[in-house]
Amino acid sequence: MGGYGDVQCIDENGIRLDGRKIDEVRPMSIEVGVVPVADGSARMKWGLNDVIAAVYGPMEAHPRKIQRQDRAVLDVRYNMAPFSTTDRIRPGFNRRSREISKVTAEALESVVLTELYPRSKIRVEIEIICAEAGTRCAGITAASVALAHAGIPMTDLVVSVASGKVHDVVVCDLNKEEDNYGEADLPMGILPNTGELVFLQMDGDLSPQQFQEAWDYNMGAAKVIHEVMVEALKGGDE
Amino acid sequence: MSIPLVPKLLRAHLADLAKEGKRHDGRGRFEGRKVELEVDCLPRAEGSARVRMGDTIVFAGVKFQIMTPYPDRPNQGGLMCSAEVRPVAGRGWEPGPPSPESIELGRVVDRGIRESGCINTEDLCIIPGEKAWQVILDLFALSDDGNLFDAFGLAAIAALKNATIPAERFEAGEDRPLEVSKTPIMCSYHKVGGRFVYDTDKKEELGGDERIHITLGDDDHVHSLQKGLKGIFTAAEFAEIMSEARSRCSELRDLIDQAVGK
Repeated sequence: MGGYGDVQCIDENGIRLDGRKIDEVRPMSIEVGVVPVADGSARMKWGLNDVIAAVYGPMEAHPRKIQRQDRAVLDVRYNMAPFSTTDRIRPGFNRRSREISKVTAEALESVVLTELYPRSKIRVEIEIICAEAGTRCAGITAASVALAHAGIPMTDLVVSVASGKVHDVVVCDLNKEEDNYGEADLPMGILPNTGELVFLQMDGDLSPQQFQEAWDYNMGAAKVIHEVMVEALKGGDE
Repeated sequence: MSIPLVPKLLRAHLADLAKEGKRHDGRGRFEGRKVELEVDCLPRAEGSARVRMGDTIVFAGVKFQIMTPYPDRPNQGGLMCSAEVRPVAGRGWEPGPPSPESIELGRVVDRGIRESGCINTEDLCIIPGEKAWQVILDLFALSDDGNLFDAFGLAAIAALKNATIPAERFEAGEDRPLEVSKTPIMCSYHKVGGRFVYDTDKKEELGGDERIHITLGDDDHVHSLQKGLKGIFTAAEFAEIMSEARSRCSELRDLIDQAVGK
């Protein structure tokens, strides 16, 4: 974070580099059934982000030490393809992807009725094939659609979105420039039917007022995104 | 990949079908699945392609890096090709370091492209002995329903053919298209029920024996061959699939030319 360079992210009329107003989300679309061999899958395009989530299972959990007697475990992997960013990423896990995999698993475990499938595991694979900003949010959102597409019982979908601050202005759904040059980032995972949270991170610097503003933007954006998710599942391939 | 559970039943079923000259999905022996090819589909890659063959889906992405030329070849750049089959692609693919299967995939595709000479490595030199372009071709499987080899091979050459060298971003001159002078194509044949068939799906792969991959360049020159898995084949069997490969490769070459607009 910090103000490297002097990129002007918002003009005098409050219009952002990609033409959005400060409270608008980037254009998005969701398609289900994109991984034909998986039990459930979803592809989410969100700005330039292109994210695919696939679900396998419930299946036998192995090795046995990961089994839980009273519930299923979620085995979540978040990964960025080598060609998904401007500079190539060396394949393989790194500290960032492990952390995102962990918090994503914990967010999704909060809604999946894991107690219905003791001793089993549900594999959730999140692959970022093109990255802009907010890939973890797109990943969580796509994964919850893929779980629903796989027919796995859940209490709710999870909508994830990040708002933040750039040039001291709070904006909804950060794009790449705002993420790079901005001063704060607040990603949240929201249950659209109750407004409860299952995922929360933040870094940067926000005043109490700005924090509330970013929070409210996320809550508002979640409603818009939820509609796209429901529409994708209704018009699904089967 | 984990050991498949019911290969015996499947093998018997496929062998019965073979006796009647059939395949389990109704295709002819040398009939491929429907092929979809889309290029320039990944905005962050300098060249990209998506290939779908039946329910097999793969992506290829090209990136560039600046490298120091090897001392024995001071005026040449380099090409690196790697394939990754992550657990997203199917139940049988497990997390962890690259499996021997995915390493073989990457290397066989790499040989076909490299040996065809379609990329002139001298053309990648920026300053002799100091700076040259390294072309990095990453192959990524999204959905594995068999014959990842051919899907990767097709995506690889299509992605290279729409790649742009991002010279401006590296302050090394003007952006220009990567020159790709030839179109190597791979065709794979798998022995199922005692005879070779083209473009096997996952079931046929699980219930089959050895496989043979043939990469042909322009004018039917052979650029790479690979026999994989346990099995014995005769010269006559090989001659038959080689002749089939010639006609199939030229069909796929036309498809590439159409997609990249040449």
